[in-house]
Amino acid sequence: MSAQRKRNFKIEAFKHRVDLDPKYAEKTWKVLEHAIHEIYNHNASGLSFEELYRNAYNMVLHKHGEKLYSGLVTTMTWHLKEISQSIEAVQGDLFLEELNRKWGEHTKALQMIRDILMYMDRTFITSSRKTPVYELGLNLWRDNIIRSSKIQDRQLNTILELIHKERTGEVINRGLMRNITKMLMDLGSSVYQEDFEKPFLDVSASFYSGESQQFIECCNCGEYLKKAERRLNEEMERVSQYLDTKTEPKITCVVEKEMIANHMKQLVHMENSGLVNMLIDDRFEDLIRMYNLFQRVTEGLRLIRDLMTSHLRETGKQLVTDPERLKDPVDFVQRLLNEKDKYDKIIAAAFNNDKSFQNALNSSFEYFINLNSRSPEFISLYVNDKLHKNLKGVSEEDVEIVLDKVMMLFRYLQEKDIFEKYYKQHLAKRLLSGKIVSDDAERNLIVKLKTECGYQFTSKLEGMFTDMKTSQDTMQGFYASQGFEAGEGPTLVVQVLTTGSWPTQPSAACNLPAEILGVCDKFRAYYLGTHSGRRLTWQTNMGTADLKATFAKGQKHELNVSTYQMCILMLFNSVDRLSCKEIEQATAIPSQDLKRCLQSLACVLGKNVLRKVPMSKDIAEDDIFSINDKFMSKFFKIKIGTVTAQKESEPEKQETRQQVEEDRKPQIEAAIIRVMKARRVTGYNSIVMEVTKQLQPRFLPNPVMIKKRIESLIEREFLERDEDDRKLYRYLA
Amino acid sequence: MHKLGRGHRDKVQQFMAITGSSEKAAVQALKASDWHLEGAFDIFYSQPHIRTVTDSRHLEELYNRYKDPYVDMILVDGITLLCNDLQVDPQDIVMLVVSWHMKAATMCEFSRQEFIGGLQYLGIDTIEKFRDKLSYMRSELKDEQKFREIYNFAFGWAKEKGQKSLALDTAIGMWQLLFAERHWPLVDHWCQFLQVRHNKAISRDTWSQLLEFAKTVDLQLSNYDEEGAWPYLIDEFVEYLTENGIVQRPQN
Repeated sequence: MSAQRKRNFKIEAFKHRVDLDPKYAEKTWKVLEHAIHEIYNHNASGLSFEELYRNAYNMVLHKHGEKLYSGLVTTMTWHLKEISQSIEAVQGDLFLEELNRKWGEHTKALQMIRDILMYMDRTFITSSRKTPVYELGLNLWRDNIIRSSKIQDRQLNTILELIHKERTGEVINRGLMRNITKMLMDLGSSVYQEDFEKPFLDVSASFYSGESQQFIECCNCGEYLKKAERRLNEEMERVSQYLDTKTEPKITCVVEKEMIANHMKQLVHMENSGLVNMLIDDRFEDLIRMYNLFQRVTEGLRLIRDLMTSHLRETGKQLVTDPERLKDPVDFVQRLLNEKDKYDKIIAAAFNNDKSFQNALNSSFEYFINLNSRSPEFISLYVNDKLHKNLKGVSEEDVEIVLDKVMMLFRYLQEKDIFEKYYKQHLAKRLLSGKIVSDDAERNLIVKLKTECGYQFTSKLEGMFTDMKTSQDTMQGFYASQGFEAGEGPTLVVQVLTTGSWPTQPSAACNLPAEILGVCDKFRAYYLGTHSGRRLTWQTNMGTADLKATFAKGQKHELNVSTYQMCILMLFNSVDRLSCKEIEQATAIPSQDLKRCLQSLACVLGKNVLRKVPMSKDIAEDDIFSINDKFMSKFFKIKIGTVTAQKESEPEKQETRQQVEEDRKPQIEAAIIRVMKARRVTGYNSIVMEVTKQLQPRFLPNPVMIKKRIESLIEREFLERDEDDRKLYRYLA
Repeated sequence: MHKLGRGHRDKVQQFMAITGSSEKAAVQALKASDWHLEGAFDIFYSQPHIRTVTDSRHLEELYNRYKDPYVDMILVDGITLLCNDLQVDPQDIVMLVVSWHMKAATMCEFSRQEFIGGLQYLGIDTIEKFRDKLSYMRSELKDEQKFREIYNFAFGWAKEKGQKSLALDTAIGMWQLLFAERHWPLVDHWCQFLQVRHNKAISRDTWSQLLEFAKTVDLQLSNYDEEGAWPYLIDEFVEYLTENGIVQRPQN
């Protein structure tokens, strides 16, 4: 069956009016009023809940809610005034306790009253939009007790005094405090804030302002920070114990401001105990504390970071420009590595691996390493040293670590192409002198460089290794082909170097002694026989020789000398005495090199196989040389004359730098062309920017050089200036 | 003619004397250029149908008078003779203007084509006409646009055949000459600077950019822009001036 129409069931009130006894309301109210009194007088046990509830219910039902409500207000207010007076009357320390006690009673009473008047709460109050009973009770408490003129200030002062006592080390009743603050919170967060929190923060601010002033005058940085940290922790604990949680950020902010922010600069710069000293002495604990505290304050970390940066730059600058340090390149680099290690550790342990600090570290290193234009050379010498001697007995991992550290320094270099030049030179010397201890380590480093800089950097280096290997094979072939003749005469070992892969060294060929000319020519013939279209030139400034020497008294020694030195010594097989000039003529060794060789043969104790007249250190043209008959050494094998890498002399350094500068010109031009090809038309500034960016992995181009290259390209008609705007350049295809 | 004012009458006389035109044409041209002589010349000469017809026979005669006996070109001696006839110093800058009109490839020589072609363009077929034209040509140097063209032309003209750059001494000589016409107070310092610091040939770019520099940058160098894409020589010149206290640059 279809029930379309909704049927509204309405329950109608009784149509007939039940007229109440007009005095009914008054009577009922009196009952309730009495009950309230009893409740406040702690006589609630004698009351019947049910009866009272019903009475209230009836009143509201019969539209006497207003009377009930206003009666309630009046009654409660009267009681509260009584309570207020009793609290005011309390002397001394018991004030807060009394307040607390009365509060407890009041809230209990309030609960009972609310329960009784619940019907009113739900109906009359909602419809007339009055304050609900419980809340009403709170508000009345607030207005009559808390905000009463005699209580308000006293309450606040008592609380603040207690807190102050606790701050100065006394023990206070925290439970009581908790109750009081909770009371304020219950009364409304605005009450809590106005009547407690705000004044609390103000007082704390002046307290800490004073205390921090005191501390800063008598403590050093580390001690101060400890105290500050302690106070901070204290306040946080205070909040958790008896204040509202919302107060925590506010009070910590106050402490941070007063104790840290206001004295930041003074702390950090404090003599003998400030940041710089902490860094120098590796005082991790202090640094951690400083980091954590300063982190809380705006610009705090920036302050630390900036000071660390400027200190680092200063120390770094001193390191690289100290003339004492420059005497030993390996030590120079080692110190740089040590410094980097130190700061890596500090940043990891104390500064939480903060990225901005790492960046500051990197930029500082980049700054001062490049202050010294010899840094690339020195780093290469350091590598040379490590790969040279010290690898014996060092594990592979350690080698890896050392190389990684070197790479890290390498990355800071702005002039990487200078490093490349020196590295090639040093590598060549290592290879040729047979001083490669670990092939793997060498190749390892080359791989790292390749990853960092691209293959052009390392392609020629690999050529050098190839040449060495090929030469070995060639030697084998040579001796196999010589067969029975191999036993006689000197043993020749040849390395055939491909020009272009190896760093060029100007070499004037000297006159080789007759004793070895034979086998040298045989080799030449052999090689050219198997490789047509090639040209061989002896590099007499790069070789070594082992000589068996017998001195006058029969002492036999084996001398390891350079090729030049061999040529000199062999002369004395046929002649007893020769002047420097005569030696020069006979051997055709360039005079600068000749002097060095003669010095190492005649003037070095323990290696003076030649005697020089006069005995001075300098070599003059007319000095006479002869074999030192009285030569003595406890070693059978003696090494004279080395080709190991040394720090370059001033003129050599100039020359190297000039070569590098020349090499840079075509690189700059190529970069300019690339940019112009892509852009077609562009302005001067953007060319400089792009070119610098492109060349950054190799070196930092000088803007003046870029300009000169642009002008050269204009002259060679690769580019032209735009007709209308002279600042624009156009690419000419 | 009597309707014209005194000043105007003078101008008409001048114009007729220089261009050899009729009074009517003179007045026309001057009116059109608002009575500015130089403008009137421009207008007059740029009208092709007004161009004076030159007698090619005369031109041949002229050319043969100056041409070298062994080569089909006018060389140094011929030019000296020409200057004599024109009553002009061979070092006079007007000869540069002449060369410019002739599109001469190199200084101190004219090819047949250059000489005859140039004179035709200028409407000259006798030495008298040539002489008369000289003051007009001198006036052309006062025109900004033409001066720049002549200046840039001078580079290619003054340098050695087959070279890309201009020898320093020649360049200095040319600059002295050119900047006498268009005054640039720093020209002496510039030449001195080059001799002391540079002592090498001058590239075309530097040459042309120098004029821009002289035109745009003031004597206190206050509007000199370091990022202004000036040739590096000019940057060095600015440094030189400040180092030696010749100019006090406002430090900013």
